[in-house]
Amino acid sequence: MPELVIETTGLRKEFSTRRGRRIAVDQLDLAVPAGGVHGFLGPNGSGKTTTIRMLLGLARATAGEMRLFGEPVPHRLPSVIGRIGAVVESPKFSPHFSGRQNLTLLARSIGAPTTAVDAAVDTVGLTGRDKDRFKSYSLGMKQRLAIAATLLKEPQLLILDEPTNGLDPAGIREIRETIRGLGESGVTVLLSSHILAEVQQVCTSATIIGRGRMLASGPVDELVGTSTAYRVAAPDPDAASRVLTEAGFTVRDGLLVETSDPAAVTRALGGAGIWLTELTPVRRDLESVFLELTSGTEMGASE
Amino acid sequence: MIRLLGVELTRLRWRRAVVALLVLAIVVPALIAASRIWATRPVSQDELDTVARQNAGQIAQCVKHPNRYGVRGPDAMAEQRCTDTIVGWYTGRERMSFLSERLGGSGMGVVAVLTALLLLAATTFVGHDWNSGSMSNQLLFEPRRGRIWAAKAIAVTLVAGVLAVIVSTAYWLGIWATISVRDLPTAPGALGDSLAYGLRGAGYATAATLGGYALTMLFRSTVATIGVLFGVVVAGGIVIAALSLGEQWQPQKNVSAIVKNGTMYYVDLPEACGGPQVAPDVDCNGLKELPLWRGAAYYGVPLLIVGAGSVLSFRRRDVP
Repeated sequence: MPELVIETTGLRKEFSTRRGRRIAVDQLDLAVPAGGVHGFLGPNGSGKTTTIRMLLGLARATAGEMRLFGEPVPHRLPSVIGRIGAVVESPKFSPHFSGRQNLTLLARSIGAPTTAVDAAVDTVGLTGRDKDRFKSYSLGMKQRLAIAATLLKEPQLLILDEPTNGLDPAGIREIRETIRGLGESGVTVLLSSHILAEVQQVCTSATIIGRGRMLASGPVDELVGTSTAYRVAAPDPDAASRVLTEAGFTVRDGLLVETSDPAAVTRALGGAGIWLTELTPVRRDLESVFLELTSGTEMGASE
Repeated sequence: MIRLLGVELTRLRWRRAVVALLVLAIVVPALIAASRIWATRPVSQDELDTVARQNAGQIAQCVKHPNRYGVRGPDAMAEQRCTDTIVGWYTGRERMSFLSERLGGSGMGVVAVLTALLLLAATTFVGHDWNSGSMSNQLLFEPRRGRIWAAKAIAVTLVAGVLAVIVSTAYWLGIWATISVRDLPTAPGALGDSLAYGLRGAGYATAATLGGYALTMLFRSTVATIGVLFGVVVAGGIVIAALSLGEQWQPQKNVSAIVKNGTMYYVDLPEACGGPQVAPDVDCNGLKELPLWRGAAYYGVPLLIVGAGSVLSFRRRDVP
């Protein structure tokens, strides 16, 4: 069993609204192993941000247990918060202070030296604009400043909630490389993102949630590989389709055969005298897995 | 904790709106002092001569008919008496004294200005943390909410307390300097009493600042805090009037009790006091004392309740 950096058991969060109680997170068992980049996926209102906010002590859990670095939180959060950098939702800083002033205040609160501010500003490419007021920043610059703030602590766990929001393509690529590099250097990154291609490129493992519940979790390769299909080409496609259907295969349009045993396809067609001209594995991408798992779960659960 | 306090003091120093309010808390009392010094300035000989010239006709009438002006005469001194009387009408000016400054409006005016501006500074300071959402960012670096609450509270209270003490002391020393320069008589211990008055006023302003901070941490908004305070003042006045509560329940009376180290208030006398024979156990004294401790309790109890509610709320509620 690998060491878990983030672990939740039966995590639940209810909100009281005018229309009754709304369950944002329901019996969530999240396990993020140490090292690597872990994707945290789910449609809007699925409970991703609420889960992150509970882990970081910004919201109280209604029920369940949470552990960070093996320490129960929020009770022992102060003892581990120094190892955690986080960006939750949109960057939140004082708009009247400059980026540097905002970082300086945060650095001083943890006793980090001024050089840590310089290094963080430099890392995210804000040098030259760091003395401008935060309110004059573009959304991308605000995101960079938020990431700079997480780097003040030299964290072992980075929790990033939609970190590439508002960035231009070059910025997205840069942040993606930074995240990948951090993951490779031993920092554990929990990356909440809607950009599934990004998650697939960067993440080693992922958890998909919908309506506050966990729908799937594991290494990205396993998640996308659980249902592999094969594209088949034959001189007579209709005959091939008929033979494969009669042999018990699920055949979709364009002779797409769902199976984990491609040899069985060749056997069935060869037995009927139909010789293949093509048999290509079609691996699903994370997006199709995600859409399949989360269809009908766009809105938050309620009762 | 010391580190967090340093951070909050820096944050406060960098907030321009807060600094502007603190500067106003120095400038407005200085203007009040200047206006009092100007309003009580001695009348110069030039001024007297000018007024006499401008009212020469009236003085002449007075000399002719001194009795109409309440002046003795006519005799050889009638002209001088008429001049003194009529010039006195137009140049009558209050003489500065510690007692009049304490009992009159200026001493309480300085306390009121300090209270309003420092409370506004506190609520502006912390309301901004909520409005901008930066409170959640701060908690990502220091999740012990009690410490955050305390560090901010100490920062605003410390700044408000130091500023209020300096301004109050400077105000009364300014009055003392003016009285000394004008060579006016003062009662023994008047300066000490006035400085103590100023310190009590500073204490009240500081406590109000802490209350404003606690309310803003509770309501998480500067506007909501100001609205609630306004509502309490208006609704409180209506409730006191509707319930026919005595003068001792008036907010301003209790401020006086704190700042003036006790004050007097009137009560309605029982009907029995109007009769020819009054029973010995009937209290017919219509003037009562409202001691300092009662005024302190009047404001202290709500301050404690709001403070406790604010800390509990901040520790338990989700932070946006």
